[in-house]
Amino acid sequence: MAKVERKSTLSEERVRTFLREMLLIRRFEEKVEERFRAGELPGFLHVAIGQEAVAVGVCQALDDGDVFASTHRAHGHTLARGTHPNAVMAELYGKLEGCSHGYGGSMHLYDVERGNLGANAVVGGGLPAITGAALAFKLRKEPRVAVAFFGDGATNIGTFHESLNLAQLWQVPAVFVLEDNHWAESTPEIQHSPIRDLSKRAEAFGMKVMKVDGQDVEEVHRVAQRALKHARDGKGPVFLHVETERLVGHYIGDPQVYRDKEELRRLQETRDPIKLFREKHGISDEELEEHDSEVQELVEASVEFAKAGTDPKPEDALKNIYA
Amino acid sequence: MPEVSYREAVRDALEQAMRKDDSVFIMGEDIAEMGGSMGVTQGMLDEFGAERVRNTPISEIAIVGAGIGAAMQGMRPIVEVMYEDFLTVSMEQIVNQAAKHRYMSGGQLKVPLTIRTQGGAGWSPGAQHAQQVEAWFVHVPGLKVVFASTPTDVRGLLWSAIYDENPVIFFEHRTLYGLKEEVPDELEPIPIGQGRVHREGSDVTVVATGRLVHEALSAAEEAESKGVSVEVWDPRTLQPLDVDGLVASVKKTNRCVVAHEAVTRMGFGAEIAAVVQEQAFDWLDAPIERVGAKFAPLPFAPVMEEYVVPHANDVLEAIKRTVARG
Amino acid sequence: MASEVKLPRLGQGMESGTIVKWLKSEGEPVEKGEPLYELDTDKVTQEVEADFSGVLLKIAVQEGEVPVGQTIAVIGEQGEDVPEVEDRPEEEGSPGPAREEERERGREASEQQTEIREPVAAQGNGGRVKASPLARRIARERGIDLAALSGTGPEGRIVAEDVERAGAAPTAAPAAAPAGEVERRELTSVRKTIARRLTEAWQIPVFQLQASADMSRVNALLDGLRSDDGPRYTVTDVLTKVCATALMRHREVNAQWTDDAILLFPSANVGIAVAAPQGLVVAVIRGAERLQLAEIAAARAEVVTRAREGKLQRADLEDGTFTISNLGMYRVEQFTAVLNPPQAAIVAVGAIVDRVMPEGVRPMMTLSATFDHRAVDGAPAAEFLQDVKDLLEEPGLML
Repeated sequence: MAKVERKSTLSEERVRTFLREMLLIRRFEEKVEERFRAGELPGFLHVAIGQEAVAVGVCQALDDGDVFASTHRAHGHTLARGTHPNAVMAELYGKLEGCSHGYGGSMHLYDVERGNLGANAVVGGGLPAITGAALAFKLRKEPRVAVAFFGDGATNIGTFHESLNLAQLWQVPAVFVLEDNHWAESTPEIQHSPIRDLSKRAEAFGMKVMKVDGQDVEEVHRVAQRALKHARDGKGPVFLHVETERLVGHYIGDPQVYRDKEELRRLQETRDPIKLFREKHGISDEELEEHDSEVQELVEASVEFAKAGTDPKPEDALKNIYA
Repeated sequence: MPEVSYREAVRDALEQAMRKDDSVFIMGEDIAEMGGSMGVTQGMLDEFGAERVRNTPISEIAIVGAGIGAAMQGMRPIVEVMYEDFLTVSMEQIVNQAAKHRYMSGGQLKVPLTIRTQGGAGWSPGAQHAQQVEAWFVHVPGLKVVFASTPTDVRGLLWSAIYDENPVIFFEHRTLYGLKEEVPDELEPIPIGQGRVHREGSDVTVVATGRLVHEALSAAEEAESKGVSVEVWDPRTLQPLDVDGLVASVKKTNRCVVAHEAVTRMGFGAEIAAVVQEQAFDWLDAPIERVGAKFAPLPFAPVMEEYVVPHANDVLEAIKRTVARG
Repeated sequence: MASEVKLPRLGQGMESGTIVKWLKSEGEPVEKGEPLYELDTDKVTQEVEADFSGVLLKIAVQEGEVPVGQTIAVIGEQGEDVPEVEDRPEEEGSPGPAREEERERGREASEQQTEIREPVAAQGNGGRVKASPLARRIARERGIDLAALSGTGPEGRIVAEDVERAGAAPTAAPAAAPAGEVERRELTSVRKTIARRLTEAWQIPVFQLQASADMSRVNALLDGLRSDDGPRYTVTDVLTKVCATALMRHREVNAQWTDDAILLFPSANVGIAVAAPQGLVVAVIRGAERLQLAEIAAARAEVVTRAREGKLQRADLEDGTFTISNLGMYRVEQFTAVLNPPQAAIVAVGAIVDRVMPEGVRPMMTLSATFDHRAVDGAPAAEFLQDVKDLLEEPGLML
């Protein structure tokens, strides 16, 4: 893919925000890995290291009333949308102070006030509801957009096809963000898809396609803004194909025996979104250190917060089943 | 009081809700111009327009899922799944998504979605078009399941389902659509979770749902002539179940037969039987009898279909068996 | 400062791993991120990277299976003191234990959550007797009136055991503790049942009456009936006949207390204590008032044989309305018997002992009767006992 060099139009404040947000996700995920290995976190965890720019770029472009649904790899989206790391970490620790109050865990992070309609453990499970949310916005004539995050693996499942078909048919204000990291757990894209360019699947439904390099947060942000505007203006849904890299295993502890280690190291060197951002904007070591140490403190504090949190009572399990 | 068919009663509830409330809309396959494969939504396109009476492509996953999404945003969508056999296609969205959003979010979300569907044998529709699958949904925490058997009940319960804040699977029965009865002038909402005594009796309680309510009433007449007094009790809502009503009836009669059109094995009747023996063990004079379809997919040839599916006579036989013991 | 290298949890559900090979030796420098050792988990063998940079000061576990969280090596600066690495697999925040404690709490809370159902009063069910299907069947097969029984099942439900044990009785049995070591006799279910029923019986408000009977006529009667080839007659047989007769004249004693009503039985089913292999049991002679002495003797002989052979049938033990406990053969002169619920009366008789009476030396037998005061009042009880004494002293009155 040809790389179009664009001059940065970001304000200094914006630069700082993007850097901090990405660093927050990075350090949070590293801390999560560390705490998982120490045996403190139950369940499974999937970290978004390498995909920070996608989360930050898209979420920074959302308006207040916009909603989104995420995947099993949801910490990045959740933090990027503004949920406090304390609430996220507490949820991973299963505490009442968690954003889902201990009921959901890593794969079911919700923050409805911020439009986060939930991470989903079923691949493609959240897409139909995004079509539905967008339908509601259209019926009520609200200038809001519903966004779905999903991976290349999800482009094979029934919900993907049905949701895109219906969204395009009814011209609802939705943006379908494909975080194409070229891996569905241990299956590389060439083994799960007969076609190489997954955006053709959206084209097959007649949907507008936009493409962007997912490791360039500025670009992601710019294109996301265009996509959201398109949908918000009533011009129909958009398929945003984001090329990105998963720089870690599928889940914490995944030894990635299926992956070429050399290739992985190369990607870690050359396609790290934070490194690339630093290079692009000439961010010095001192500046990085300043942001990094603040972020790390925040993350450390979130672990303390979570550990000191309140365990749900066993009988709380029977609440919140019915409204 | 006007005489209204079951079909008209469903439509009446839909229309009244949509008139009253902009947030209510319906979607499903062929519900617009055609008025639905069972004719339930006839005339509604004209009154409410295509935005609120939406024909959909054949995509049960997306139809149900879109319903979930719109419901989460505060609307009250009513999704029609043409045949309950096709609920299977959207199972993932119903079971993993609709039923669980509220719980997994720790109470942040509600999914006030109503899924209307129908099924029923008796006209040789074949194995994939006439199943009765309500038991599967009773088994999923987070869902409510309703199965009304009369026009008055279906109207009052559909209203309550639409206004319930939880996902409700609302079963209708194909062969009942033409059933007429006098209904009150005004729509009277019937609470979800409340059963009904269709016929009072003292020797045995027949718990019946859907078409089998009417078969049971028929059997009860016959039994009466033989000196057996049968009480017919319809739970109307399968989840949550009106346990108090059920137990009160069995404590009165000391015998229980449960009848449904669905396959007997692992059917809803098994749950009723378990609940009755747990809560009214000392009141039972005989084991609980179950009436349901034989354990086979539904055959096409009419002679075979009639063999598999339960009828009034099966209920009567069960009544006789339970009265003869103890 | 030296850092401990602990075995990491590399996957959900991983509890331990096997160290296959160290890729660095003690004393070698290590960079964070460099492969440090090879680990075998149940899924795969993989290289594990170092989390710290420094010198590999110590390898604590060379190879083999290690639980997650255990310290396996120490990395620090050259020349640093190596902290003692003890075998402490369980640590604060280490895998399993921290979350395991929560899981334990959840499990316990679930076990304790029993629905406490309001105990339903026995009569609070519309006059319906609570009995299990099995109990009903047994009762039906034997013509037993369930209403006459009290239940030991949940909420007063009559269960099979209650129907079967309607006749089994507890009696005082002296047990001598052996000298020397303390012997331990594990409780059999029979013994537990006896204990439970005795305790229940003890809680009944009772009163006791005593009388002594001159047994000269009875002795003479028995002597006269003694023959080589006929059945053997015993004092107990006579007592059985006498009590049965008296019970028919004093129906209020042939009774049972229930919460709803006092039940008076039409027939005297007299129970006599018999030694069976499993302990003392009360065998019932049914309808004793209608039986001739010979029949009573025969029935008693049969049932005693069955008891001794351990072949007692349910019918032998059920439906008793009154019990005679006779410890005379042990030369006990007088004792008080504990009621045999649900019966309202029991009589304890002792040995026939020659006593000096105003009339001269007479063979005297002491009778101590215990009555359930809820069902029987003093006067009828006394009249009953009076009758028993009179009939013993003048058996001809029975004919």
